[in-house]
Amino acid sequence: MTANDQWKANESDPLGLRGLDAIEPGYDGWAQIESALRSHNSNQRSWQKTGTWLALAAGLVLVIGVVLRTNENLIAPNPPSPGFATSGAHSASVPVKDNISALIGISQSMEEQVARLRQESASMPAESAIYVAELEDLIAQVDNQLSLTPDSIDLWGQRVNLLLDLAQIYQQQWEIDYGRMASL
Amino acid sequence: MRACEIIYRKFHKQAFTVAVRICNNRELAQDVTQEAFISAFKRMKQYRGDSPFWGWLRRVIVNHTISALRKLPRHDAVELEDYMAPGKGDQDGLGRCMDLEQALGQLTDEDRLVVWLHDVEGYKHREIASLVGKTESYSKTRLNRARARLRVLITDGEPIDALDETMNATLNATA
Repeated sequence: MTANDQWKANESDPLGLRGLDAIEPGYDGWAQIESALRSHNSNQRSWQKTGTWLALAAGLVLVIGVVLRTNENLIAPNPPSPGFATSGAHSASVPVKDNISALIGISQSMEEQVARLRQESASMPAESAIYVAELEDLIAQVDNQLSLTPDSIDLWGQRVNLLLDLAQIYQQQWEIDYGRMASL
Repeated sequence: MRACEIIYRKFHKQAFTVAVRICNNRELAQDVTQEAFISAFKRMKQYRGDSPFWGWLRRVIVNHTISALRKLPRHDAVELEDYMAPGKGDQDGLGRCMDLEQALGQLTDEDRLVVWLHDVEGYKHREIASLVGKTESYSKTRLNRARARLRVLITDGEPIDALDETMNATLNATA
């Protein structure tokens, strides 16, 4: 070491703190870390599944919407003659009822998903919270209307769409929270 | 997972040492080290590989330690613990080394953080200022204050009140 190097070393560490020994941890924390990482990986997979599920649900709603439109178009322009009114109404009511049942099923599953997402998400910015409150108000309004007309396919469709929007907000918030946590 | 374990085994001691030296508390350092390793492994993809891995991991450890210190009530922060490992070399060297270790433990959290990061880990004042959210002048003053205190503690074992007053006045002006 030259005199200049020595001077620089003294300048940057004049008290010789670098000479202090490393400290033995005296514990092995790997098992805990491994367990935390496994749990993290499994959570990530679970969120990926949720995302896939949401996409599938959205796709299903779209398909049902298209099917309904097609049914309405087939029935509406040509009103049947009085003699065939009963049989015409019967043939249209079967797919409509099936569609309503499907939408009710999706709505219930979405409700559970939203409840889980709500539980797992931390605090959210005011803007998102306002949007969530608005969506929940809209869902409550749809529920009121559904209590009067429980067989309205349009209302069930609206309910599922609103729940999908709600789930998306919670999921986006979770992703933001997760990113923030990871950057610590 | 195996790669993570190898990294953990390789850097555990170094990481724990940094955490203990900064926070002066074994239990807290243990928690901080665990959290920092978990955090580092979770965001391993962010490590670009263009700098030494230890430098990247050390930043994570330092950030976690500072964050943990901020959560502590101030009166709990300074706590000298009996963790001193036996030094190497001759008896004088050993005695001085232990004195320095004890003296380091008697600094305030901020002084210890600044002197350790600057003198041992090689951080610049700009980097320290950014980490603690203060100015570069603050970091420089803290460093001078910490070194002065350490010198006093190593040689006499008694802090100089007059020096403290001057340093406090300077720090208040720069913070």
